[in-house]
Amino acid sequence: MANTKSKSVTFENITKIFRDTQSKQDVKAVDNVSFRLEPGELVTLLGPSGCGKSTILRMLSGFEQPTSGKIMIGDNDVTFTPPNKRDTAMVFQSYGLFPHKDVFHNVSYGLELRKVPAAEINEKVNKFLEMVGLEAMGQRPPSRLSGGQQQRVALARSLIVEPSVLLLDEPLSNLDALLREQMRVEIRRLQKSLSITAMYVTHDRVEAMSLSDRIIVMKSGHIMQVGTPSEIYRDPVDTFVAGFVGKVAFFPCEVKGIENSACTVELAGKKFTSPRYSEKLKAGGKALIMARPESLSLGEAGSGVEDGIVSANIYLGNSVETWVKTDLGNVLVQIDNPDVKKIWDEGKKVSLSFEPSLTKVLVDDLDA
Amino acid sequence: MNKRFINFLLTLLFVILVGTWIYTSVRDEFLKQSRTAQRRTVETVAAGYPEPEDVDDWLKRLADEAREYSVVFVSEIPMPGEKLNAAPKGDKELAELTEKSALDLEFSKGFDNAAYEEIYRASNNWTVGTKEKQAIFFAPAVSLKTHEIEGALVFAFNTEGEQNFMRMLNTLFFGAFILFAVVIWQLMLSRDPIVGFALAGLFLMTLVFVAYPLFEALRLSFVENGKFSLSIWKTILNSEGYLSALWGSLKLGCWTATFSTIVGFLFAFVVARTNAPCKKLISTMGVLPVISPPFSLTLSIILLFGNNGLITRWLRVIGLDFSIYGLPGLVIVQTMGMFPIAFLTLSGVLQAIDSTYEEASLNLSAGRFKTFSSITFPLAVPGLLSSWLLVFTTSLADFANPLLLAGDLKVLSLESYIEVTGMNRLGHGAALSILLLLPTLTAFLAQRFWVSKRSYVTVTGKPSGRITELTTPLVRRILTGIIFVIVFLLILLYGTIFAGCFVKNWGIDYTFSLENITEAVTRSRDALFDTVTLAAIATPIAGITAMIAALLIIRRKFHGKRLLEMLLMTPFALPGTLVGISYILAFNHAPIILVGTAAIIIINYVIRELPVGIEGGIASLRQIDPSIEEAATDLGADQATVFRTIVLPLVRPAFLSSLSYTFVRSMTAVSAVIFLISAKWYHLTVLIYNFSENLRFGLASVLSTVLIIIVFSAFGLMRLLVRENVNLMKSVN
Repeated sequence: MANTKSKSVTFENITKIFRDTQSKQDVKAVDNVSFRLEPGELVTLLGPSGCGKSTILRMLSGFEQPTSGKIMIGDNDVTFTPPNKRDTAMVFQSYGLFPHKDVFHNVSYGLELRKVPAAEINEKVNKFLEMVGLEAMGQRPPSRLSGGQQQRVALARSLIVEPSVLLLDEPLSNLDALLREQMRVEIRRLQKSLSITAMYVTHDRVEAMSLSDRIIVMKSGHIMQVGTPSEIYRDPVDTFVAGFVGKVAFFPCEVKGIENSACTVELAGKKFTSPRYSEKLKAGGKALIMARPESLSLGEAGSGVEDGIVSANIYLGNSVETWVKTDLGNVLVQIDNPDVKKIWDEGKKVSLSFEPSLTKVLVDDLDA
Repeated sequence: MNKRFINFLLTLLFVILVGTWIYTSVRDEFLKQSRTAQRRTVETVAAGYPEPEDVDDWLKRLADEAREYSVVFVSEIPMPGEKLNAAPKGDKELAELTEKSALDLEFSKGFDNAAYEEIYRASNNWTVGTKEKQAIFFAPAVSLKTHEIEGALVFAFNTEGEQNFMRMLNTLFFGAFILFAVVIWQLMLSRDPIVGFALAGLFLMTLVFVAYPLFEALRLSFVENGKFSLSIWKTILNSEGYLSALWGSLKLGCWTATFSTIVGFLFAFVVARTNAPCKKLISTMGVLPVISPPFSLTLSIILLFGNNGLITRWLRVIGLDFSIYGLPGLVIVQTMGMFPIAFLTLSGVLQAIDSTYEEASLNLSAGRFKTFSSITFPLAVPGLLSSWLLVFTTSLADFANPLLLAGDLKVLSLESYIEVTGMNRLGHGAALSILLLLPTLTAFLAQRFWVSKRSYVTVTGKPSGRITELTTPLVRRILTGIIFVIVFLLILLYGTIFAGCFVKNWGIDYTFSLENITEAVTRSRDALFDTVTLAAIATPIAGITAMIAALLIIRRKFHGKRLLEMLLMTPFALPGTLVGISYILAFNHAPIILVGTAAIIIINYVIRELPVGIEGGIASLRQIDPSIEEAATDLGADQATVFRTIVLPLVRPAFLSSLSYTFVRSMTAVSAVIFLISAKWYHLTVLIYNFSENLRFGLASVLSTVLIIIVFSAFGLMRLLVRENVNLMKSVN
C-alpha cells in the first residue's frame, strides 16, 4: 500500500513569538528554525517541555501561525492556510475522539466531510478498523474503549483521510508502559506500510529512538541537532544533547592534538584517542570526554581515570546498572551479561575506565 | 500579508467608487423626479393665472388649497438691478423674502426668465420666514385673454421630504459601506471568515441592542426640551414621592431577601444535610415557584386574602380586619416566589461542604449543635450572603407582584412604569429605572467581587455522597414540620388558582361554572397566539446565539473580548423596567424604528435571556477537551461544520436548557415587555394583569393556569430530552 500522496515538509526560518498576557512580554517559543522532512520519513521532535516542539507541530497543522518564515507541504506554501484546508492529520495527546459518535463514525467523519459515497465510506472504514485491530468495535462509543483502543481509533481516524503528513502529538503519553511499547511498534508499522510522511512530538527519548528515521533535538526554541537516532546517541553536538538522549558521564580532560580525524586528550595522566570530537576544539584547551554507561567499566581503585565508591547495584536481568559516587557526580555503569562478569559490592572503592573508541570529546559547556 | 492588504485596499476603493456611482445616480434621479414634479405643479398653477382683478381671490384660494408650496404674485417684473415697484401679493413670509431679495442674483435671473416666459428654479435652498430649506421657483403670469406677461409668480416648495430621503439614503449607504468593508476584510484578510462574521455580528448586536438603548436612557434623563439639563434628576432627588419609592424598594428588597434566605436555607439544610423523608417532594416544591408565571402567586394571594378574599371573609367574621395590599403582603408573595433562588444557591453550597469536616469536629468531641454552629454554618455564610444579594436584586427588579399588590407602598419599578405609561414622562421613567439600577448593580458587584472571593467551597466535582446527620430526630421533625407547612401553603396557592377557573365570580358567587373558561379562551386567543409565536421565534435565536457566543469566548482569542463579554452579560443585571424603557426610548426614532413591531419584543427576549444561556454554554464547554474540536478542524471541517456536528451535540444539555429557559422566560415576561407590546402584538401576562385589575379573577385564573401548564410542560420536555442525552455525554477523558 505505497502512498504516492506522501509529501515533503519544509520549514524556512520559522519564528513564533507569543505574547505573555500576564507579564505583557514577548516570548520566543520558536526561534528561526529551518528543517526539511523527506516524503515517507518519520521525524521526531525531541526536547524538554517548553522547547517549542508542540508549537512547531501546531504551526504545521495550522492551529498556530508563525510570526515570520515560511512553511511548505510539498510545493505548496501553507504558511497561512487554515487547518481545515491543509492536507495534514493530527493524532492528539488526549486523542480528541468525538464522544457523541461511535467508533465507526469517529473514523468516517473525515470521509463524510469529503463527501465520499456511503458505500465507499463503509468499505474504507472497515478496512482501516481492521488495520488497527478494532473491526469488532465499530458500534461502541469511545467511552467504552480502553486507552490503547482509543489511541487506535484516533490513528485510524487520521490515516483514513490519506493525509500528506501525519502529525502525532505525544500520542503515547496517556498509556501505561506495556501498551506504550506495543503502540510504538504499531505506529511504526502503519507509518511504514502506508509510507506516509510523519512528524512525531515527544519528550521521551526511548520513544524517539525506537520510532524515528531522524530526530530533531530542540531546546528553548532552537534546533540543537538533527540526525538519525544512532548519530544523535553516539555523536551528540554538545553536552545537552548527549545528556537528553541517554545516560552519560563527562570526564574533564585537556586536548592534546587533533590529527587524522581523531582527537587525543589527556586525562588523569593518560592519553586517549577518540574518533569523534567537536569541531570547535583546539589543541591545549579544556574539554570533556563523554562516555555512555555501556562503554564504561570498573576496576580496582587507582586503575582507571576516576575513583569512586559503589553506591547501588540494580539488577535488570540482562545487565546490572552500577551507580558509582565520584567527585564528578554519580556515574552509571552498565555491566552487560552480569552472570559472567564481576559485580562490585556496594560500598567498595572502584575505579572507572572507558573504551576510547566509543567516546566523543565535547566542548566544556556545563558551567555555561 | 502586505500584498493581501493592498488587495484589500484596492477592493475597498472599487467598492467605494461603485457605491458612490450608485449613490449619486439614485440621488440625482430622485432629485430630478422631485423637481420635475415641482416644475409641473408650477406650470399647472401658473397656467391657471386669472385676470388681474381676480388675482387676490385666486391667491387666497391657492393658499387655502395648496399644502406643499406657497406662492406670491409680483405685478410688474423688475428689470435687473431694480427694486420691486409694488409689494408682492400672497403668502406674507414669501412676499417679505421676495421684496428683500429682489436684487439677489438668483432672483434677478428668476424674474428675467419669467419675462421670457420661462420657468426658473433658484439654486440653493432658501429660508422663508420660519420655514427652512425651501426651493424657490419663478414663473410668468400670462393673461389668458391678451397672452401678455402681466407679472411673475414666485413659488416656495417645502423640501423636507427630499431632505429626509437624502438623510435616509446617506444612512443606508454608510451602513452598507461599513457592512461591505467588514465582509471584505473578513473574506480577504482573515483565515477564519466565519468566526470573523460571528464576532462582528455579536459586537453589532450588543452595541445596538445593549449599549445604545442604555446610552439613550441615560442621555434622555439629562435632556429637557432638547438641551442638556439636570432638571429631571433635580426633581427626582428633591421629591419626597420618588425618594419614598426608592426607600420602599430597598425596604421590600431587604425583607424579602432576609425571609427568602431563611426559608431557602431551611429547605436546603433539610434536603442536603439530613435524612428527612419526602426529600424529592421538598426539593420539587422548593424549585417550582421559580418557574411559575408572574401574577400567579399574587393572584391566589388576592383570591384568598384580598379585600373580598375567601379567608379574609372568615377572618372578618371573627373580627380581624386587615389589608393584604402593601409591604407585608408583598413580602409574603415575593418570599414565596423567590425563596427557590436561595434554596438552589444554598443547596449547592451545602452539598459542596464535605461531611468530613463535620465528622472531624464530632470526632474531636464537639456536640452536634456546636458542630453546626462552628463548622457547617460558618462554611455556608458566603453562600448565605450571595443568596441574600441575589434575592435582593430580584426583589428590587420585580415588577409583576407590586403591580397588583403594592397598594399604598411606592416602589421604583412601579413608579417608573407609571411615569412612562401614565404621565408620558419618558425621561423621568428612565431616570427612575436608572436609580433602581444603582442598588442592583452594587449588590451584583458585591456578589461578584467580594462574596465570591470569600467562598470556602472549592468545587472538587466529587461530593462524598455521605451525610453526617447533625440533627436529633426531634429537631429534624420540627424542621420538616415547618417545611411541610410552607409546602402546603404553596400547594394551597396553586390550588386556589386552579379552583378560580371554575368559580362563577370569586368573592361573590362561588357556584361551579365553566363560563370563565369559554370566555377566557375566546378573549385571549390572539394574545396567546402572539405570546407563543414570539417566544417560539426568540427561543432558537437565543439558544444558538448563546452557544456561539460561549464558544467564541471560551475558545478564541480576540481583541475586545472583555468588552463583548461585559456587553453580553450586562442585561442579566438590568431591571426589566429599565430595559423596557430604554428600548422604547432608543427605538422610536431614526435610525432604528422598531416600536410597535414584533421584532422589538423578540430582540428584547433574546438579549435578556442570552446571559444565562452563555453561562451554561461556557460551563459546558469548559468540560470539553478543545482537541475534540481541533480534531474535527484538522480533518477538514470548517468552523460552521465544527459547530454544527461537534460543538452543538456536545453542549446539547446546556443548549436545551438555554432553549427551555428562554422559552419559559419569554412566555412569562412582564416587566420589559409591558412597555413594548402594541395592539398588534400582545402578551398573555399583560392580559392577566388587565383582567385582575378589572377584578375578572376568573379569567385571570384560567390564563394563569394555561401559562403554568405551558411552562411546566416546556420544562418537563427539556428534562426528558436531557436525560436521554446523559449517556452520550460521558466524555472520553
